[in-house]
Amino acid sequence: MPLERKPTLVSVSMQGGPPAPRARSRCGPRGARTAPDRLRTVVALLVLTLAVLGTAGLLAAQAQSSVRPPDGAAAPPPSAQDTITKPGTAQGPAQGSDLWRKIREGKSGYSATKGPQADTLITSGGVAWRDLHNATVLRYGGWLLLGVVAVVALYFLVRGRIRISGGRSGRFIPRFTLVQRVVHWFMAVLFVLLAVSGLILMFGKHVLLPVLGPYAFAVVASASMQGHNLFGPLFVASTLALLVTFVKGNGYRWVDVKWLFKGGGFFGGHASSHKYNFGEKTWFWWSVVLGLALCVSGFALLFPNMLPDRAAAQLANLVHAGAAILFIAFAIGHIYLGTIGMEGALEGMTNGTVDENWARDHHDLWWQEHKGQATTDRRRAEVLAAERGDAVAGRAGS
Amino acid sequence: MTIVGFIEGPLWYFSLAVFVLGVVWRLVGMLAIGRPKDLSVPTASSAAGAAKAVVLHSVPHGGNLGRTLYHFFAGYLFHIGLFALVLFAAPHIAFFNKMFFTLPWPAMPRWAFIIAAEAAFAGLILLYVRRLTDPVSRGLTDIDDHMGVWLTFLAMLTGCLALQEAHAGLRALHMLSVELLMIYFPFSRLMHAFTFLFARGYTGATYGRRGFTP
Repeated sequence: MPLERKPTLVSVSMQGGPPAPRARSRCGPRGARTAPDRLRTVVALLVLTLAVLGTAGLLAAQAQSSVRPPDGAAAPPPSAQDTITKPGTAQGPAQGSDLWRKIREGKSGYSATKGPQADTLITSGGVAWRDLHNATVLRYGGWLLLGVVAVVALYFLVRGRIRISGGRSGRFIPRFTLVQRVVHWFMAVLFVLLAVSGLILMFGKHVLLPVLGPYAFAVVASASMQGHNLFGPLFVASTLALLVTFVKGNGYRWVDVKWLFKGGGFFGGHASSHKYNFGEKTWFWWSVVLGLALCVSGFALLFPNMLPDRAAAQLANLVHAGAAILFIAFAIGHIYLGTIGMEGALEGMTNGTVDENWARDHHDLWWQEHKGQATTDRRRAEVLAAERGDAVAGRAGS
Repeated sequence: MTIVGFIEGPLWYFSLAVFVLGVVWRLVGMLAIGRPKDLSVPTASSAAGAAKAVVLHSVPHGGNLGRTLYHFFAGYLFHIGLFALVLFAAPHIAFFNKMFFTLPWPAMPRWAFIIAAEAAFAGLILLYVRRLTDPVSRGLTDIDDHMGVWLTFLAMLTGCLALQEAHAGLRALHMLSVELLMIYFPFSRLMHAFTFLFARGYTGATYGRRGFTP
């Protein structure tokens, strides 16, 4: 079907058709145009065009000067399109897929925003971090925690509560000072708050979200995040206090190796130890090292803008999650033994004293040194413990 | 009416009424008891003794620094932090302005709010742990002390969990815990917030009249 050409003003004039009657009347004998008139019209139009173009050029020059960088400023680096070699020139201009592939691979360009990796449109490291975080740390960390709970539960079912052999003696030996107990419980309260909120943040998406639904989980997650961020800095103080107040007596000795080879007496037999056995010493150093790792990585996550780049934040996140899982895993065993797992253990941290038979069962070398302090006056033992712990008057306890 | 609406409406006004009327009733009751007339010849000013006691009992004095340093430090940490949170947190100021038609006053910046919250929590936990582990303090502690500490802790905790100010449920939870605290307040040792001045002043006046510094 041939295209029908619509007549236009230009086409009409080029065709030399008759002018409209109205125009003819205006260009009658009184107003008929002569050659000089046309020339003046053309010149006037030319001047007008030049004036418009000149004005536009001035405005453009002013606009350009307004965004010009100040004197002495460094020239901007080449743009992304300059940095990235345009492939596919045989097919014309750069192909979108090739360009985006380069960007996807982490090529940097220019950004007016200054900051770490601000000139990188897509940081591919985040994908690797996410895979490592979700597929390795969370998956195996989750299984580790469940495994520890299962092992502890199985041990409790098989072994039952570890009783004091021969029952309670009714004689009490001072063991922990008031300062040590305050530091222990201060850290314990913070640990529980941080562990619960941290586990919700780590595993809540997989465990709670399907149960609670998106709205309720958003509420729980928001509360957990705020609580976690708030209590975190206090944990730093508690970790340092733990190191200072409990470091004495927690150095490893040869007897600890023997305790380890005997399985700590958990599977039968007796394993000797001083005030702290191998497990307690390991728990102490475990808490200090992992606690400091949690504190450093936690501060890095609280103030990510102070980190050199995004990779540092990703590393901090992995360290924080990994250290937290290992900390919580060990803590499950510690809490079990300190409460339902072992008769007579908890009161050392509540009252500051332990039963003499308990001391002989689990810390016989320490008991040998302190059995002279044993008393049936519980209140007196507690007051002595509060003031000086297991330190015998005139010398410190081992 | 929704649960949130109930907590932020009728229950709030009920708890406020219990708090105000209960505190007034307790204070008037205590003052109405009066005291027997002291017929002894005064050797010094009772008023000066009262003022001296109020000030001196606020700081370690009389060679008790070693024994009271812990309470002094943890006590001020908790109380200053708590009052800063209650009076100068921006959401609280907005709440007071709305509820009591007060004029706005300057709020703490967020970093100061966080520090105040850290201080209040650290102080409260330290005081409570000490109360539970010290043999003398534990012997003096009863259910009222536990209730007061836990209700205060819950009010602070729920407030901090709602810091994002993004969920009405968390705000209502905070209000509910505060309302429980307000209802419990007049009938507990939490009344020391109002009575500590009377107690110290009375002791100071009694001893001051006899020329002693308590």
